[in-house]
Formats: sequence, C-alpha cells, structure tokens
Amino acid sequence: MIRASKLLRIGFALALGCRAALAADPLPPEKIGLATPPAPNPHRLYLTDLQIAHINDGRIHVVDGQSFKYLGMFSSGLFGITTLSADSSEMLIAATYYTKRNRGDRFDQLEAYDTKTFALKKEISIPTKHALALPYKGTISTSADDAWVFIQNATPLSSVTVVDHKNWKVTGEIPTLGCWAVLPVPSKPKTFGTICGDGTFVTVTLNDKGDGATQTRSEKLFDAEKDPIFVQGEAIGDQYYFVTFQGNVKVVDLGGDTAKLADSWSLVTDADKKDNWRPGGYQILAVHAPTKRLYVAMHDNGKEGSHKVPAKEIWAFDLATKQRVERAPGSGAVAISLTKEAKPTLYTYAGEEMTVTRYDTQPALKPVATSAQVGDTVGLIATH
Amino acid sequence: MKWFDEFFERQARAVAQKTSRRSALTRISRALVGTAFLLPVLPYSRVAKAAHGAAPEGKLDPMDDTHCEYWRYCALDGFLCTCCGGTITQCPPGAQPSSVTWIGTCHNPQDGRDYIVSYNDCCGVTSCGRCLCNYNEGERPAYRMSVHNDINWCMGNDSAVYHCTVSVILGVSGAVTK
Repeated sequence: MIRASKLLRIGFALALGCRAALAADPLPPEKIGLATPPAPNPHRLYLTDLQIAHINDGRIHVVDGQSFKYLGMFSSGLFGITTLSADSSEMLIAATYYTKRNRGDRFDQLEAYDTKTFALKKEISIPTKHALALPYKGTISTSADDAWVFIQNATPLSSVTVVDHKNWKVTGEIPTLGCWAVLPVPSKPKTFGTICGDGTFVTVTLNDKGDGATQTRSEKLFDAEKDPIFVQGEAIGDQYYFVTFQGNVKVVDLGGDTAKLADSWSLVTDADKKDNWRPGGYQILAVHAPTKRLYVAMHDNGKEGSHKVPAKEIWAFDLATKQRVERAPGSGAVAISLTKEAKPTLYTYAGEEMTVTRYDTQPALKPVATSAQVGDTVGLIATH
Repeated sequence: MKWFDEFFERQARAVAQKTSRRSALTRISRALVGTAFLLPVLPYSRVAKAAHGAAPEGKLDPMDDTHCEYWRYCALDGFLCTCCGGTITQCPPGAQPSSVTWIGTCHNPQDGRDYIVSYNDCCGVTSCGRCLCNYNEGERPAYRMSVHNDINWCMGNDSAVYHCTVSVILGVSGAVTK
C-alpha cells in the first residue's frame, strides 16, 4: 500500500506539472472538421432501428463489431426499410416523410448513402406506398448485380416498386397481391420470388425496361395454416432456406421458371419437440455456404404466438447431413447475421438488453463478447 | 438486462418476467402458462413499467386494460391507447383512427367466449411511447396481412404517423383460441 505521505508528494508534483504546462503553452485554436469512418471491413455492422417511441426518427447504427466502437449513423425517417447494395458500397433506404412532420403531404424516397463516407449520394421519389414495416429482410432488396432495387409496397395491398439502380429512376410497379417479401434470384438479376398466403411462391421476371413482368405461381410449398414459414429467406445459389414456426426447414429453389421445393427437413428431434423448441425472433436464421452451416435462433416452451420470442439458444446445423452439430447460448437474440468471410463471425442483437454479441463459429460456436447498449428497436443486422 | 422480479399470478398460474424498459421488438416477459383460464395463453409481453403498463407485483388483473396482460391484447403489438389519453375503443384526443386494421381472436376470461378483436392504430400524432406491448397469438407473417402486426396500420390514413393501438370487439368468434 502506498503511504499517505507518498501520495501527497505525487499529488504535489502533478499539480506543479499542470501549472507549468498551463503557463507554457496555451492550447491552439482549432477548426471544426468531419470525421472519416475507418475503411469498411467484414465486421462492420449496420443495425436498423425503428425507434418506435420516436417513430419519425428511425436510424441505422453503424458499429465496428470487433471493437464495438460506434462509427456513425444513417437517418431512416418514418418506418424506413433498409438494405445494403449487393456490393455493400451503398446503404439503400426507402423512407417516408411528411411536409409538416406528423401531417401534411406524404413523400416517399429511396436514398442511397455512401458506406465509405456516410454521405447521401442520391435520392429519388418513389410511390407513396412503401411498406411501413418493421425492419425485416426482404422488404427492400437489390438484384445480385445491383442493377435493380425492389421495394415492397403495402396499401395494405401488396406490390413491388422497381427502380433502375444505375439510371436511378423508378421504372414500374409490379402487383403481387396476397404475397410478401422480395427474394432476388442470384443467377437471374431480373427475377425475384415472393411468398404467398396460400402457401405458394410467385416467381416474377421483369422485362428489359423494368416496367412490366411475367409471373408464375408454384404449387403449394408450405402450409400457411398449420406451419407457416417465416418470411426471412437466406440464399445459397438460387436456393433459399426458410424455417417454419414449428421448426422445419424448407428449401425453395427459385432458379427455374417456377419455384420448387428442393428439400424439407426438421430442426427438432422428438426430444426437442417435447420441450417445444422452436425458432423465434425477427431475423432468425443465417446460412454459410463454404462451411455448409445453418444457424437458427431457437427458444423452448414454444407455443402459439411465441414466434417472436428472443433466442434461448443458437443452433447450428450441417446442411449436408441436416443434423444439429452445435448449440450455444442465445444471448436473447432477436436478430442474427454472419460476416461474409470464409470463417465467419456470427453477430446477434438482443432485443431486451439492446446489445450486440459476437460469436466465434470456428472452431466452435460460442459467444465471445457483448457490447454496451446500442440502439432501441433494432430488428435487423446487416454485415458489410 | 433489467428484468423485474418474477411474480406468480395465482389465478392464471402464470409466471411472468417483467422488464422496466420500453422498447419495441423486445421488452419481453415470458409467460410460462400452465392451465390458463383467466389470461390468454401468451408467450410474452413487453411491459413498460417505467412508462406505466406493468401490473403491481402479484396483483395482475386480467380485466385492467392499461396492462399488456389484458385479455383483448392477445395479438397487439404497439402502445396501449388506454395509457395515452384514449380508451380501449377510442383514440386519444387529436389522433385519427386507422382506416385499415389487423385482427386477433382473444379469449375473454369473464364470459368464456372468444372474440374477434380489431386492432386499429391511432394516427397523426407522434408515437405515444407508453405501455408498449407485444403479443402475437394467431399473428402471422405479412403474406397473411390481415393478421399481421409488424406493419404500420396507419398506412392508409392521411397521416401514417403511428401513435397507439386500440382493441375493438367485432363479434364473437366461433373458433376456439389456442
């Protein structure tokens, strides 16, 4: 233990030093500037935040997942729906504004922000009907080649606004009655799939101008009554992975003229079913092609209406064997997302705690760090 | 995480966890319901205790419409208008009822009937921020839009700014909840 007299001596010396510095060199005058974000890396996270108690004031938090340093934000207005462009160079936001904030004339915009500088690059008016939805993946999507932006509309009748991304103009509106979500087909940039309330999928293919489309409806691929699918789909090639309320996997191939069920299997064993393990949350799954893994946010004691319950555990499945290979604590996740790396990192957002948790996936799935509180009503994580 | 104390709800035999903070996708209370008669069988609720909305410990009243556990709220996701100057069927002053709605089917513990409930959002005033609840019994993804609650049902109004949500009985349901 340091003695009191020694502390006094240290304090006296410090005081003298400060006084000397004060006397010697005053701080120079300064100029206000603009911070430059660090260069994007795969661990940069974009957290879409509805801000439900301040509904006109949505935002996207940008956080470095490795240090949890807060890097900045994008404004996203009233019920902004968001996606990174396929090349991650832009954050695309479809948002609604009113001339008198809570009233007046409504105008909807598609805005493109530069993810290097966070500056607004361009904006364009879109029909005043974009889905005023919670931040769900698939409410706004780009084609794999970034040529098109597809925006889900709801009046509440469903349609999709099509934007020519390169020429930056609205080219058309495609009716998609009774269906929801835009699932771009990687091998066919002018084609997307959408999920319909009768258990079918509709495959929509634009004409060259993007002002019209052909549509083909599949057979019934899931049971919307008994075991509905969550709308979030994650693609490997043209095959989209979905999970159902009861814990089944549906693999839907959107690569053909008509959507087809490529595979169907269960996430839960008989023992799991006894404890009613089910998927839950808002962004509930992630897939990784190189390691052939599926990650799902799961909770036990599931029942009718539990489909948004935060994760008690994250389960990892081998897509080749369709077997669960790992289970890890769920960190209260309502959203999960993987980095786009050969050995990915999993990030989760805890809806209750309002924190981000980082998971190693190699050699084993495990939570390694949790951030301080960030955001309020985050339901979607995008990784750069 | 700031869970509030667990409490035992005697009549419903429900153990719920409560939280103090208001948030949207989240403030979760887990209700581990055994044989529930008085409360709907709800997976969780977000009770904004700090902003009112949470029942006093051990005194949960399923007929108190300022609490998330009130029976009509079985598929309500949003702020309770009863905490915002409105009533169970009336928007707060200055707001406008939504022209389109989603519906739920909820069990009334008092008369044992199931009712179809219309969840009208109230619109045109900035979000109320009080008594945030999130129950999803019978709720389905947006491809079943009429029973979807993760969208702003003020979408059809002159002002789509969301304020709070009311719960209006449309009629008795022939279907059995749960």
